[in-house]
Amino acid sequence: MHFEIQYNPAHSLATAHLNVGESVRAEASAMVSLSNNIDVATNTGPAGRGGFFKKARRGFFGGESFFQNTYRARGPGASVSLAPQLCGSMVVHELGQGPSLLIQASSYVAAPDSVDVDTKFQGFRGFLSGESLFFLRASGHGPVLLNAFGAIETIALNGELIVDTGHVVAFTEGIEYSIDKAGGGWIQSFLSGEGFVLRLRGRGTLYIQTRNPSEFGRTVGVMLPARSS
Amino acid sequence: MKYDILDSPDFAFLQLTLNQGEQCVAESGALVASDSQIEVRTSMRGGLLGAAKRKLLGGESLFQNTFTSHGSGQRLFLASSAEGDMRAQTLQAGQEFFLTSGAYVAHLGNDLVIDTKFGGVKGFFSGVGVFMLRIVGPGTVFYASYGALHPVSVGSEGYTVDTGHIVGFESGVSYRVRPFNGFKGLFFSGEGLVADFSGHGTVYVQTRNASSLVSFLHPFRRVKSNN
Repeated sequence: MHFEIQYNPAHSLATAHLNVGESVRAEASAMVSLSNNIDVATNTGPAGRGGFFKKARRGFFGGESFFQNTYRARGPGASVSLAPQLCGSMVVHELGQGPSLLIQASSYVAAPDSVDVDTKFQGFRGFLSGESLFFLRASGHGPVLLNAFGAIETIALNGELIVDTGHVVAFTEGIEYSIDKAGGGWIQSFLSGEGFVLRLRGRGTLYIQTRNPSEFGRTVGVMLPARSS
Repeated sequence: MKYDILDSPDFAFLQLTLNQGEQCVAESGALVASDSQIEVRTSMRGGLLGAAKRKLLGGESLFQNTFTSHGSGQRLFLASSAEGDMRAQTLQAGQEFFLTSGAYVAHLGNDLVIDTKFGGVKGFFSGVGVFMLRIVGPGTVFYASYGALHPVSVGSEGYTVDTGHIVGFESGVSYRVRPFNGFKGLFFSGEGLVADFSGHGTVYVQTRNASSLVSFLHPFRRVKSNN
């Protein structure tokens, strides 16, 4: 199978083209359309296949619960088209001989079965902002479909880079990372609005997004009517 | 008269140039700018969506803003409310085209019919006030998508589209709405409906939808306190 991405940078659509018998697992909320020769199964399997997040609170990833569907092609010319919630780009990262990919959970969209997505990987909880930063690890071989809020910049890291956590899409394992405050102290970081950063050091590939979904959500959300739950 | 769709595909913007006496009818709220010799006559309050909220689906004809040029080379600039693309569909006499109400922007041609009594679509969309328009030529209709406009040719094998992602479709295509038998995973996914298209013709799909944006923003809303 392969992913075909159209309409980058702002309104991307990714179509997974499947050969007979092939399947792709994708975020349930991402589905736009599909051909009629596809069987859809919901994932109730072991933790590595989305089971872990079935009990996750709504709003874990900004309103997108981590449910996945498995789409399996029954016939030739099968396809399923996927799109993210926000405007922005999508990109495919090929796993194979190289290292695994650490992906910020809300940036992960889809992958075939030959890619294992470990959902229990790593989490950092924001303190004052209450924002959680969750990473998945994708390993194995095959294409991994990622989405971004805004455009995606691919950076070949060789050295050190400090990246605002809300702008991190994914990076290859092997890059050393630590979470840190942006400003001098806790109050500084909170007041500056810059929150937390990821300090990255080493060699590998880093994907960043040019807009920060949490920032957008907070800015707009507070202008909307209050909710009851 | 001529028209140009500028800034496609992400922020499409319609520029019309109208000569003396030429007219364009548009959804209210679509006006961005116009030259000073363009006269606006508003004959309906609130536009198509506003009318829907007042339950005008019982057969009342709809009115919109009518722009009339009283000079030569008068420009009129129109846009839809959502970021995305716009397209013109020119219809021959009697030729049909179907659009979701939110996608309609404007049209040219006094004989073009916009039929809102087009039935059989109860529950088609989860949104309040969203309904189907049946457009009949002759004339040109301008419509917009939220996100990119992705045309799909439907053939004998059919095709299925999430209802929130449907912009419109040609006649020759029919559909059946049903619940999607998979996770939808969105707080505000509505009824989680899909439309199974069959027949022969083009279905126009949009690559973003409003329910997804609402779902994304929902957790960021303040929680009502009980005091």
